[in-house]
Amino acid sequence: MKRIPIDKAIPGQILAEKLTRHDGVLLAGQGSEITEGLLRMLSRMNIDTVVIEEEESRTAEEVEEDFRRLVAQMEARFVRVTGSPILMALKKTMLFMAQKEKDVTLALIDKPAAASENPEAAQSAEPSGSA
Amino acid sequence: MTNPQTTIQDRVSVKKEVRKIKNLPTVPGIVAKISRMVENPETSAAEVGRLISQDQVLSAKVLRMANSAFFGMSRKISSISQALVILGFEVVKGLVLTSSVFDMIQKSMTGLWEHSIGCAAASGAVATLLGREDAEEILVAGLLHDLGKVVLALNLPDEMRLILNKVASGDILFYEAENQLLDFDHSELGQWLAEHWNLPESLAEPMRLHHRPEKAVIKPECTAIVHIADIIVRAKGFGNGGDILVPPISMAAWEMLGLKKTDFLPILEILEPKLSSLVDITSIN
Repeated sequence: MKRIPIDKAIPGQILAEKLTRHDGVLLAGQGSEITEGLLRMLSRMNIDTVVIEEEESRTAEEVEEDFRRLVAQMEARFVRVTGSPILMALKKTMLFMAQKEKDVTLALIDKPAAASENPEAAQSAEPSGSA
Repeated sequence: MTNPQTTIQDRVSVKKEVRKIKNLPTVPGIVAKISRMVENPETSAAEVGRLISQDQVLSAKVLRMANSAFFGMSRKISSISQALVILGFEVVKGLVLTSSVFDMIQKSMTGLWEHSIGCAAASGAVATLLGREDAEEILVAGLLHDLGKVVLALNLPDEMRLILNKVASGDILFYEAENQLLDFDHSELGQWLAEHWNLPESLAEPMRLHHRPEKAVIKPECTAIVHIADIIVRAKGFGNGGDILVPPISMAAWEMLGLKKTDFLPILEILEPKLSSLVDITSIN
């Protein structure tokens, strides 16, 4: 998801977060489509930004490739602290979240069984128990 | 790893260079004025608000940060006086200071501003998870924790280059390279600046001790939170704090805060959407 100024918002885009008035009243729910009318209403209410779902332009292979690169960069950053159980738990949690995000993206690309593609990695990336 | 750039001769000359830092950056005029006003118990929030509001560019920057994902306000803050009421005096002062030094941070080092706002957001996330009432103040401490690097980059550019070369040549943290080459690091420069600018301890101590939080005595929890937040934002690879490595964690800080390994998930869940939204204040000019 991505926060954009409303002058960059285009009817048809999907809200990734619910939209509320400054006093908390709900204007549009998460997942609803941006319309001309909604944009006019927002500008009247001095709401400057909306959070939209980003369109996925990558192929499934590219998503996998980006994920591998992200994991490699993460490993490199943690190279000095592999002896710290706490920081290894941080890494595991970050891997778990990255894996989840990748699975969601792959599902968006409509690749069947995307989530179960790499069950071992998903399992090992679960965040660890309490300290 | 030996780096031809960092011979003993270099090291000696670098230490001589340190004496060149005679003139620290001057405290932004508006911040000095506000500090003087606050020392007077008669001063009202409205008067301070009026002073800040006189500078429209500054006010706009402060309001932009006050309304950013940092604070996640459900209502829009539309004036400085409202910001003073909702966020409190210290936080607004911190934002004024940040807006005033923004250009300096941007110029000093690529990615340092992003590292700073990332650390601020992470400090806020940890403080929120811990249920701290002073979460906003801790966030501002995270925002300014690396001001010492700004002093280093602006006053000792040649030494800064040597340090960055050393960092690039091996598995070494920025502050380790500083200590090897200079015998001091940015945390001490930050302390120096904090004293010179008369900053409150809630900002000064995390600036001085974010790599040694167990030494903090005045604001130990705030310092410990900034220490952990710095680690988290480096782990995320958001921005650039000088090196790409996750630094060691202080067990004393971790235990004092009573954090558990399972707390990383909710902290990161608070942090992630903030980081993606904060990209829009990476250029508050």
